[in-house]
Amino acid sequence: MFSERERERYKRQMTLFGDEGQERLKKAHIFIAGAGGLGSPVSLYLAVAGVGTITIVDMDRVDQTNLNRQILHFDRDIGKKKTASAEEKLQKINPDITIHAINAKIDETNAADLVRGADGIVDALDNYPTRYLLNEVAIVKKIPLFHGGIRGFYGQATTIIPGTTPCLKCIFPKPPPQEVFPVVGATAGFIGTVQANEVLKYLLGLGELLTGRLFIWDGMQAHAEEICVERNPACEACGSMAKKTPAREKK
Amino acid sequence: MSVKIRFFARFRELLGSDIMTDVAAGTMFTPLITTVAKKNPEGYAAIFDENGAFHEFVILMKNGKRIEIADAAKTPVVDGDEIAVFPPVAGG
Repeated sequence: MFSERERERYKRQMTLFGDEGQERLKKAHIFIAGAGGLGSPVSLYLAVAGVGTITIVDMDRVDQTNLNRQILHFDRDIGKKKTASAEEKLQKINPDITIHAINAKIDETNAADLVRGADGIVDALDNYPTRYLLNEVAIVKKIPLFHGGIRGFYGQATTIIPGTTPCLKCIFPKPPPQEVFPVVGATAGFIGTVQANEVLKYLLGLGELLTGRLFIWDGMQAHAEEICVERNPACEACGSMAKKTPAREKK
Repeated sequence: MSVKIRFFARFRELLGSDIMTDVAAGTMFTPLITTVAKKNPEGYAAIFDENGAFHEFVILMKNGKRIEIADAAKTPVVDGDEIAVFPPVAGG
């Protein structure tokens, strides 16, 4: 059931997917790993779309060098925990949803607990070791992982459905060296919006997901393309999962 | 005969993209990329280690199919092949 305020708020999208679709969003719980460059647009768009519960996790405080891209945080937030800043903004932009903002470093001891109850994980991280950890959690819990990565004017995204699509380790078996990466905010906005759009389609059961495809954005050329990616039967993370046939292909 | 080499992300910044190059019959994947990458020392260092081997994180594809780094040195390229070389993009 929706309040009058919710009906007004979501009016322009409920014409697309009706009460049923909006109800799906309201009942959903999405876990966002990172309240930075990607986490900002992902969380804002999921919040305004009416995703009922959003858990967002980060371990950092807002730094001035974040502000060229991390649009959840304002100049006045410098020094604040990113999670406190995120919770305030997201709750203000949509008071009808529940925000769990958790100040924590995601590691092997807490990852599964943090993700508990979520219907999907958004990878808005800045490093591969933690991405691999959430990839494993997604595989164990059999929930999707919405991957995004950015550097400079370049970005990539893919949607991982454990057991059906390649997992993150199938696509990128080894991490690149860690670096302080250059980036413009518009790249984060572009890729984060692709990720948010994937989450919405997944929850609504609409459209074609970015599955089995690595979406690649070259902002310098204003050119988007995709590369087909396949499961690695010997993958150390998902190789033991039997391949599932998507429901529509079952005879 | 010619093949097309496509670099992505950081590799593209350093080496360009959509590079058409003539190759002799029997040319293998690794020496081809080595030759092209050597045109820019920084580009070469981004893709190869000090021993001339691909960095382990580099992703190689030929005509949309993954080529394992271990197999690249013995994988031939032929006329019309499209090769993709890219790094995982890590920022967030």
